[in-house]
Amino acid sequence: MTKTRASQAGREILERVQALLEDPDHQDNPLYEALEGLREYALAQDQRLERLMRISDGYHLLERNHTQSLAVRCDRQLRRMEKMARISDQYQKTLWEVTESLREAANQDPLTGLANRRFLMERLKDEIQRAERKDTRLALCLMDVDHFKRINDRFGHEVGDTALCEIAGAVRQGLRRYDLYGRWGGEEFLLVLPQTGLSEAGAVIDRVRQEVGQVTVGEGEPLTLSASFGYTCLHVGEDPNDILKRADIALFRAKEAGRNRVEQEP
Amino acid sequence: MHTAISDLDVPGTQSTPFISSHWETGELHMKGNSYPENSFEFFGQVFTWIEAYLAGDNGPLTLRLTLIYMNTSSVKAMMDILDLLEEAHEQGRAVEVNWLYDPRNERVMEMAEEFREDYTFPFHIVPTPDEDD
Repeated sequence: MTKTRASQAGREILERVQALLEDPDHQDNPLYEALEGLREYALAQDQRLERLMRISDGYHLLERNHTQSLAVRCDRQLRRMEKMARISDQYQKTLWEVTESLREAANQDPLTGLANRRFLMERLKDEIQRAERKDTRLALCLMDVDHFKRINDRFGHEVGDTALCEIAGAVRQGLRRYDLYGRWGGEEFLLVLPQTGLSEAGAVIDRVRQEVGQVTVGEGEPLTLSASFGYTCLHVGEDPNDILKRADIALFRAKEAGRNRVEQEP
Repeated sequence: MHTAISDLDVPGTQSTPFISSHWETGELHMKGNSYPENSFEFFGQVFTWIEAYLAGDNGPLTLRLTLIYMNTSSVKAMMDILDLLEEAHEQGRAVEVNWLYDPRNERVMEMAEEFREDYTFPFHIVPTPDEDD
């Protein structure tokens, strides 16, 4: 008899039927043929069932293997994605840093670390707009280091550069926290004093003049520095060039009047 | 028997690296920035060359990479290429990567280290002595 998965009860009934069929006494029984046919049919069904289950099991295993390999592949892809994102993030960070340093380079005077002319001009426009919007005063001052060429000629450009850095420090020292300042070019500096009228501006600027007067260059017989200042106040409806021009006129007067002094244009 | 496909000699642009390959020595060099409009197409030629070379005789393969900026799809393409090398390496082929970087730009080195992770073939990250070439 073929080995089947038929249940115990199934096996028992089939064995009983077989025993009955093998008994010579039953050979002539009218049910003999029908019973034999039934037994064969049952055996065939058993085998069919067996095959069906084997095939079904096979599919099951296949499906499981497939799922497992999918999981492994998915995991690997995920790792790749993460790696890609990590590297990509780093590149992005690099770009951001480059942008940042370019921005600094675009706005900063590399020697003194102060705001450069480009940045000052942008900020001046903002400050003028703000003063107009809020109807407040705004003072602006141009400062020029006196006889700067002499320093370079006498001590060399390196000492000249150091002097400019020290002057930058003196300007910072003399101004208030909310004042805006920077290197306008060469040995010229721009000072912007928000919410400040002429007389108040005069006092602040004279303090800067005194701070600059403390700066010395060279060893042995050091040279004391000084600067000339021309300042003015914003008029209604002016653009940056108008107010700059007037400050420049005042500065010219300070130079003409003997330097190391502060002159104003109303 | 595989026949040699023609060597790559692609001039660099602002957004794509220069590529040159030498079938005879099994060397491929890429240098520059990489953010092509179509990374798939651009790296496709490199991929094809490497695949053909690896399918050919048993000569060693050396990649010399001097890549500075790479966009995300270039990073992916490069990982695909390195996977190809890893596969060949597992099958006993001699493959090698030399990733060159400007010592002033440490971050490129860090990124090369990220790339190197998970690979078992020789992967050297080398500072360039000076402007290389």
